[in-house]
Amino acid sequence: MKLLNLFRRKKPSAAAAGEEFFKKKYQSFKNLLEANNAALEVMSHMEATQEGDYVFDLQFIRASAESILEKVQTIVQELNTLGDNRYAELVKVYQNIAAKIQNETEAAPPSLSVPLVLPLSQVDRRFLLQVGGKNANLGEIKNRLQLPTPEGFVLTNEAYRLVLAENRLTEPLASLVKELDIDNIEQLTEKSQILREMLLPAKIPQRLVEEVNQQYGQLVAALNYEPYLALRSSGLYEDLESSFAGQFLTVLNVPFDRFFPSYLEVLASQFTPTALVYLSQKRLLQRQLAMSVGCLAMVPARSSGVMFTADPTGSRGDVLVIDAAWGLGPAVVDGTLTPDHYVLSKQPALDLLEQQISRKPRRWIAADRGIAEEAVPLEEGSQPALTRDELLTLGRYALQLEEYFGSPQDIEFSVDLQGRIILLQSRPLTLLTPRATGILPPHLEERHPVLLDHGTVACFGVAAGPVFMVDHQADLSHFPDGAILVARHTTARYGAVLHKAAGMVIDIGSATSHLAILAREFKLPALVDTGKATQVLRPGQEITVDANQIRVYDGRLEEILQAPVAKTSLLAETPIYARLRRVLRWITPLRLTDPKLANFTPAACQTLHDITRFAHQMAVTEMFELGEQARQGEVHMVQLQTNIPLNLYIIDLGGGIRADHRGRFVSPEDITSIPLRALWRGISHPEISWAGPIPIDMRGLYSVVSRSLTAAAPQHADFWARTLAIVSENYLNYSSRLGYHFATIDALVSDVRNDNYLSFRFKGGAADESRRGRRARFLGEVLTRLDLEVDITGDLVVARLWKYPRPLLEEKLDLLGRLMGCARQRDMVMADESTVEWYIQAFLEGNYRFAGEPGSVANPDQG
Amino acid sequence: MSATIVIVDDEPDLLDLLKLILTEKTDHQVVTTTNPQEAVDWCREYHADLLISDLRMPEMEGIELLKIIKEIDPYLPLIIITAYGTIGSAVEAMRHGAFDYITKPFRKEHILMTIAKALRWRQEHLPA
Repeated sequence: MKLLNLFRRKKPSAAAAGEEFFKKKYQSFKNLLEANNAALEVMSHMEATQEGDYVFDLQFIRASAESILEKVQTIVQELNTLGDNRYAELVKVYQNIAAKIQNETEAAPPSLSVPLVLPLSQVDRRFLLQVGGKNANLGEIKNRLQLPTPEGFVLTNEAYRLVLAENRLTEPLASLVKELDIDNIEQLTEKSQILREMLLPAKIPQRLVEEVNQQYGQLVAALNYEPYLALRSSGLYEDLESSFAGQFLTVLNVPFDRFFPSYLEVLASQFTPTALVYLSQKRLLQRQLAMSVGCLAMVPARSSGVMFTADPTGSRGDVLVIDAAWGLGPAVVDGTLTPDHYVLSKQPALDLLEQQISRKPRRWIAADRGIAEEAVPLEEGSQPALTRDELLTLGRYALQLEEYFGSPQDIEFSVDLQGRIILLQSRPLTLLTPRATGILPPHLEERHPVLLDHGTVACFGVAAGPVFMVDHQADLSHFPDGAILVARHTTARYGAVLHKAAGMVIDIGSATSHLAILAREFKLPALVDTGKATQVLRPGQEITVDANQIRVYDGRLEEILQAPVAKTSLLAETPIYARLRRVLRWITPLRLTDPKLANFTPAACQTLHDITRFAHQMAVTEMFELGEQARQGEVHMVQLQTNIPLNLYIIDLGGGIRADHRGRFVSPEDITSIPLRALWRGISHPEISWAGPIPIDMRGLYSVVSRSLTAAAPQHADFWARTLAIVSENYLNYSSRLGYHFATIDALVSDVRNDNYLSFRFKGGAADESRRGRRARFLGEVLTRLDLEVDITGDLVVARLWKYPRPLLEEKLDLLGRLMGCARQRDMVMADESTVEWYIQAFLEGNYRFAGEPGSVANPDQG
Repeated sequence: MSATIVIVDDEPDLLDLLKLILTEKTDHQVVTTTNPQEAVDWCREYHADLLISDLRMPEMEGIELLKIIKEIDPYLPLIIITAYGTIGSAVEAMRHGAFDYITKPFRKEHILMTIAKALRWRQEHLPA
């Protein structure tokens, strides 16, 4: 009675303070759960969007990312409230990830203030409308990826408009373009000539002259010499419309005194007959004729080339293709000589697969005020234009660019006289993607019965393979390549074999579960919540999972498997999708899956999803420890009046006890806490006996006696004889220590399935180690068969369940209550391993009194 | 049926995506601009069958654009693109005669369906 005495000695205000303390902690826990669910929901939405079917803009990415950031910030704050700032390190981890996300979602500059000239060091895709796709990409390469690019500046579309406006050319040009008859080639050529003649003599506005002079001055100061320039066109629609490639002019090695005539030549190149046909076909608006020009310090090139990050014919797998020749770039692209051709593997490592070295008799070089062609010495001409090291460096850059821009890239580069690689351009490479037919063959279901037609899609797609059934304790190392993972639950640990699996079918679990998210990351066709896959499917059975139609068929359906499914659409290869993927890199990947690993720490969190996983796990642990804290705190409790000798004390955090109840004692009918009510149903099951001794053999008795002599007596033995439940309407933290064993339950049971969980720990016992181990195995096996995820270490049993619907969780708590009653003192009667299975079967058959139990003897006197 | 569709939105990324979808999935001619005034000019000078417009743009609000467009061609359907938070204004736009509205982000099938409906409506209502 020491504990009660202790409470009686305390002032009522202290009890109230204790209760307040718990309420505060519980509120933090609830807030954390709510934020966690909300964050996971937005993450799922963003992930679904990146699959390639959606139309969205930067505003959507920014708003979604901000929403997730806000929720994860709440999670981090609430975890620190729960854990008394023990997770302060997580704040820094969060801030670090938040900065990376914000860097990717920066707002575009106001479109109203458009400068005429911008230094390349300030250009990126936010200036797409001002500088065109090519310049914007080069700016990204320089300023975001920080890969080697030339120094320089960009004349924006606004500069072009100013030239037209001050020379009164805007309207005449527009009307000439409008009247084009693209079928009349003669007229087209004539108009092309007129348009060019109108533009070439244009007077350069003074403001533009001044700004260009200033930018060139800064370039000279930065380089410490007066560079000649390469003027490269950059049309607004070049990014998406690859047919523009080669239409517009690039002028190389321009001395600054020839800058403006060259600039006008580049502008005029959009009026070549072919370019005009293209403009007309696309019905581009006058505004879209505007052109930006990149002005880059010339790279005196030893070699130049182009690089494709995929085989554009689609005939070869994962390769990079590089063509290169001596001197400046035109040698490679003008088709006048055969460049060297190199093929590099991308996987498993970058490597040179093949090379065809051509004889390259000529090269373009920077000559006085322009470029000139010269002969290459015979011996040199047959040498490779690129070294192996240069090829591998180029390969690394290529992979970076492809990942960054989100689609295969077409890249131009030069190697300078010192062997340094300089990137000059990167733009999307157009590849053909196969499409799904989506038509099911007739009479399909006669030949291949539908085994499952119910469930939730975790990831779309079709896959076939043999069933490989796994459970919580399965040895995953034997998971075969290409099998279909079939399991009762979406246990995150199965994530370890998803790269080997062809598909996944799960009985119970939601599409927001960690495993479902992992399946999406692996693009693994997956169904969850099918209800009965583990019952219907047989190990080794060949099945076809059609997640698109939510069907699992018997056998292998070549008809639907053969339809090539495009995993990404063309939409997915646009810059905005690439940006979404870049943002998602810091949000959705889940690397922290196993709380038992040593790296389950704040420092290991690399994404917001990692943080939510870590925080959720730690919050549950913190709530578990609340029970321990309660024993030291001064809180107001009520005692349950019952015939069962449990000495159950209840701390109500709100809504757990009938509101109109008064006094220090409550009856079971006064309990309004959903999880405690469910647990109590099991504890008070009429077939469960909590009172009196159980039959015991003499060796079991001896084992208890010997343990009593060797084990230290528990401190405050009378305290441990009590059972404590911290409750609210939906929450239960239950700690019971009876003699030598303790059991704890932590559960949240509500109508919001994603919030729900159940966690159970059981440790200790009166008998010797081997007998306690047997009881642990008994408990573990029963709990596994009741669908909990179980870990057994020695005599410690830890079992968990997540995201179950309320009725099922109530049922589990009921069964847990019965199990605790049945397990009482059974360690002492489990004389050998064979008895364990007997008890398991007896419990599962509802033989809670264990009639005819194997270790029993008549009436031993042991309590 | 090949129609001419003018799309105006101040987000070039969104224009790119819409243009790509319509080029990939339909035979429609697509004209895009970030400037509402240009869209108005285009509709005045050329023949357009459908206008798709953002609701909030720096230079001109979608509703204002709608009023001008209805003066040019009362049978030109206008589909409003709106962000989640501005659905109220989109409904307001429908009161002023917008054909429909669609909330960002949206699936490509959704916009294709809405476009098909709008073009059918135009065919049915256009005076012979």
